[in-house]
Amino acid sequence: MKDLIWNNDDSQETNITETIEMELLLEGLYRVSGFDFRQYMRSSIQRRVQNRMQIEQIQTITGVLEKVLHDPMFMNKLLNDFSINVTEMFRNPEFFKVFREKVIPELKELPEIRIWHAGCATGEEVYSMAILMEEEGLIHKAKLYATDMNETVLNKARSGILPLSKMRTYTKNYMSSGGTRAFSEYYTTDGHFAYLKPSLLKQISFAQHNLVTDQSFNEFHVILCRNVLIYFTTALQNQVYELFYESLSTKGFLGLGDKESIKFAECADQYEEFAELVKIYRKK
Amino acid sequence: MMNNFRFGIRQKIITGYIVIIVCLIAAILAVTKQLDNMQKERNFIIQHDFAVRDLTSNIEKDLLKMESGQRGYIVTGDENYLQPYNEAREQWGKDFNALSKLLSDYPDQLKEITAINENIKEWIEVAGEPSIKLKQQNDTAGIRDFFQKDPGKTEIEQTLQQFDSFRNNEKELVQQRADNLNNQNQYLEIGLFSLLAFVILASIALAWIISGSIIKTIKAVVETIRAMTTGGNLSSRIHVKSNDEIRDLGFATNELLDSFEERDWLQRSVTEVVSKNQGISSLENLAEIFLSATAQITESSYGAFYIKEGKEKNVRFVKKGAFADTAGDVGRDSFALGQGLIGQCALEKRVQVINKIEGDYTLISSGLGETKPRSILIAPIVHEEEIIAVIELASLAEYTSQHLAFIEKVLETFGLTINRVIDRIEIARLLSESQAMTEELQAQSEELQTQSEELQMQSEELQMINEQLESRSQDAEEKSKALEIAKKELEEKAKQLETGSKYKSEFLANMSHELRTPLNSILILSEMLAENSSKSLSEEELEFARVIHSSGQDLLNLINDILDFSKVEAGKLEIMLSEVNLSEFPSSLERNFTHIADQKGLNFTINIAPDVPTILQTDEKRFQQIIKNLLSNAFKFTEKGSVSVRLNKVPADVTYAGIDYWLEVSIKDTGIGIPKEKHELIFQAFQQGDGATIRKYGGTGLGLSISSEFAKLLGGRLQLQSEEGKGSTFKLLIPSISDESVSVQTFAGASAEVATALEQSAKVIEDAPATAKIAPAVPETEQPIMVDQEKVFYGKTVLITDDDNRNIFALKTALEQKGMNVLNANNGMECLDVLETNKNIDLILMDIMMPEMDGYETMQRIRGLNEFTDLPIIALTAKAMKNDREKCLEAGASDYISKPLKLEQLFSVMHVWMTK
Ligand SMILES: C[S@@+](CC[C@H](N)C(=O)[O-])C[C@H]1O[C@@H](n2cnc3c(N)ncnc32)[C@H](O)[C@@H]1O
Repeated sequence: MKDLIWNNDDSQETNITETIEMELLLEGLYRVSGFDFRQYMRSSIQRRVQNRMQIEQIQTITGVLEKVLHDPMFMNKLLNDFSINVTEMFRNPEFFKVFREKVIPELKELPEIRIWHAGCATGEEVYSMAILMEEEGLIHKAKLYATDMNETVLNKARSGILPLSKMRTYTKNYMSSGGTRAFSEYYTTDGHFAYLKPSLLKQISFAQHNLVTDQSFNEFHVILCRNVLIYFTTALQNQVYELFYESLSTKGFLGLGDKESIKFAECADQYEEFAELVKIYRKK
Repeated sequence: MMNNFRFGIRQKIITGYIVIIVCLIAAILAVTKQLDNMQKERNFIIQHDFAVRDLTSNIEKDLLKMESGQRGYIVTGDENYLQPYNEAREQWGKDFNALSKLLSDYPDQLKEITAINENIKEWIEVAGEPSIKLKQQNDTAGIRDFFQKDPGKTEIEQTLQQFDSFRNNEKELVQQRADNLNNQNQYLEIGLFSLLAFVILASIALAWIISGSIIKTIKAVVETIRAMTTGGNLSSRIHVKSNDEIRDLGFATNELLDSFEERDWLQRSVTEVVSKNQGISSLENLAEIFLSATAQITESSYGAFYIKEGKEKNVRFVKKGAFADTAGDVGRDSFALGQGLIGQCALEKRVQVINKIEGDYTLISSGLGETKPRSILIAPIVHEEEIIAVIELASLAEYTSQHLAFIEKVLETFGLTINRVIDRIEIARLLSESQAMTEELQAQSEELQTQSEELQMQSEELQMINEQLESRSQDAEEKSKALEIAKKELEEKAKQLETGSKYKSEFLANMSHELRTPLNSILILSEMLAENSSKSLSEEELEFARVIHSSGQDLLNLINDILDFSKVEAGKLEIMLSEVNLSEFPSSLERNFTHIADQKGLNFTINIAPDVPTILQTDEKRFQQIIKNLLSNAFKFTEKGSVSVRLNKVPADVTYAGIDYWLEVSIKDTGIGIPKEKHELIFQAFQQGDGATIRKYGGTGLGLSISSEFAKLLGGRLQLQSEEGKGSTFKLLIPSISDESVSVQTFAGASAEVATALEQSAKVIEDAPATAKIAPAVPETEQPIMVDQEKVFYGKTVLITDDDNRNIFALKTALEQKGMNVLNANNGMECLDVLETNKNIDLILMDIMMPEMDGYETMQRIRGLNEFTDLPIIALTAKAMKNDREKCLEAGASDYISKPLKLEQLFSVMHVWMTK
């Protein structure tokens, strides 16, 4: 706080330099890797870069840029840094509860249900959806698409392997999400990991997809994009909302993260609040 | 002039009354005059008549008086009798004169009384006077003589007679006159009644006319007013033709209507504008809507709307909207306080209308720029005594007072509206800011979590590295020495191995051969037995024979495989290139496999792409062997669906010396499939320790390894695409070799290239075994996993609470096998007892339906004890009803599984709840 108030000329100058450096870094990263972080929240990117700089003992952002341009390994590390993969099965159980109680009845009659998990990270969310669909007897006609820009996490997601240590939390989440069976029916374990039942896994198509640069690839009845847009600036959020709008069927559902809201987006009036409390919106 | 002549209601009514009164007076005068006449007449009748009668009877009386006086005197000689005679003689003359005067107008009667007069005079002369004289002379003889003769007697009698007739005449005359009067009276009566009737009629007529003229106009007014109130049409007006108070009323009403209409217009216009202003969330929008509405109402052609921005010295009014009925931008973009007309207005805080626009009315003097309108209206919009906006309107006509009134009225509340919109925008901005902040927070917390996970990982890594480093530095010296020795040993070993493995393979090859001979005889004999030609064997014995035979067959296959394999290993296998006729390929496969397909009810198809050449240059025997191997595998693991073979020519982007083309043989089944992590495994012989895997996926365990080796020998490769439950596709990629002199080994690299090229072109994402990264990990982890699994459970204590002893027994056995200590309780009470004495229990398996104290209650009690709040309790529910599960959770279960228990699931759950 103090720093902000006693902003002397010197620090202002460095701030400007840093801004320029950061822009150059992101531009460079985009040009070499094709991953576009230029419209991500600067504050978040800043922290990730700072973090990397500390670990690698790099003094300036330009130094980071240099390594990005010349060291592919480092570039990958930085890309990984930028993709925050925090996720859980049945994360915010209330969401899944409401989804089960209110959204599912709306989908039941469809001949095929296409669901897109945009920014699926290590897959826990889409696993949860698969379980929910299984329990609702809809898995046979559900097509679950899970995409992320990060190939590494996608591979993890494809494997269906979960850390054993997290299963307790997941069990609790599952229960409070209104699960109708025993959670243990969906996995087997060995001493290290839990393995999602292959029959569930095989219902899911995983693919690499970047929300910033890639196009719509199907029409979906449900799109879940939870805790991804928090990393985007408003402008980019609007752009992605546009993409979702294109990719949603009429009366399709859009699920956002707990702390996200469509209320202030440009497209807010194209959606009705279906379950505002758990951020489920419905295309008009 | 006529117009100015007022004939008011009062005049009308008074005129009416006057007419009637005049009539009445005339009538009364006429009647009185008539009455007067009649009165006179009557009086005359009465007086004249009476006088005549009086006089007549007086004369008569005098006459009689004279006669009786004469006689009295004569008889008595008394002088006293002479007095009445004298008096009467004197009197009657007078009376006669009066009478003749009275009757002077009536000659008939005059004649009569004259006759009477003659007679009386006669009597006096003849009788009266002479007789008296006789007496006076005492002439008694004369007197006797006189009486004898009695002169005058006739005169008296005649006179009396005459009197009678006169009186009768007179009576008749009076009667006549009375009749006359009566007649007159009757006429008067008739006249009077007719006059009355006339007056009545006249008044009625007048009343009718006057009231009619009043009512007609009132009715017209009422009619118009009623039409307006029912029709709601305020624009019609009352028209009155008469010039009276009603007309005044009409005019007054019309005036009222005018003002009413005006007020109504004002009200409606204001409401219209105000209602349009509702629910708008941007200033631009508001400005646009407000301007176009006001412009329309005030008939303005141009309008501009400025909002105050900035504070104190930096206040500027910035254009937020404009309106023009011609296209184009109107007004300046902004102005400062006091700048130009409009700025002046903003400074003065009042509405201004400028009708005389100077010739040089230009950009500076107004926000509206160069147009030259007739009239300009500039109005400030005030909120809480402060100007927050200004509007400027320009019209080609002049603004009326009504327009002004409207503007003033509408602006009264517009300040509030603007303020509300500004507030709303501000609130929206704040809200979205707070949303952004919330998101930022969430992002930060996720980052933090990631970071802490990373840190955790790093610290673990560090710890590991540290540990390793420590031990390494200790060992370092030893190791370097040992390394030296090991190196030497290794070198030696390598040599030994080379020869050793060669020997081993040779030995195996020989051994297998030696083994086959006795095995063959076993096979043949057991087959004979199974045929039971002598019919001497029982069913059971027959079954034994069959088992011996099939086991023997398996053994033989295995030995064959081993033989092949050892040959490959020992490098003993030679390839014999020949021409394989691919057109015969389908029929030979069909011969071998259709019956299995039929037996299992599977679809079996063979497809050869049209561009595949008929001739394939390769080792036919090995080629066939690979295909058969793969096919028998496919059939073995497919229970339903299909098995298909497809031959494709690989499109050749690259050419290799000595190779004609590449053939791809795909063998696809819809069987159980192979999980990814096992893909590499099944191609490996001997190395894998997990017998189960072999049993499950590899048949004899060697078939695939051999096929793969053969494929390599033929210069190609064998690949697998499969997922558990989705079937498998084996792809054999082999070259047609045209030049025998080229070593097959050199094709190995080529086949890899072709394979990757193929993959890319087909965009096959599945992991080919050759590229599977996790492959090396599998055989390593496979073994230790078993140990780890036990480790989690080993030595841990489980408390089984169940009233069904069979359950306890079954569970106990299973759990004890994992090295666990198992305690048991038959009901909730016992469970609590056990917990009291055993503090080192790691997990409780809790049945729900138990006598005495059921599972729910028991769990609640356990959770009530402080020391056991975190103890994992797994509820075993008989029926997985939703209600059940919720009750379990409420009661404090960590997890639940439903009965009948699946051991694998139970162990999974126990893993979850027991790993720290
Ligand atoms: C915090 S995770 C959210 C995971 C999951 N949806 C949940 O809520 O549990 C965010 C994920 O979004 C992915 N992501 C970020 N930017 C992306 C982009 N432009 N396109 C696709 N995925 C993106 C990241 O790789 C990361 O896996």
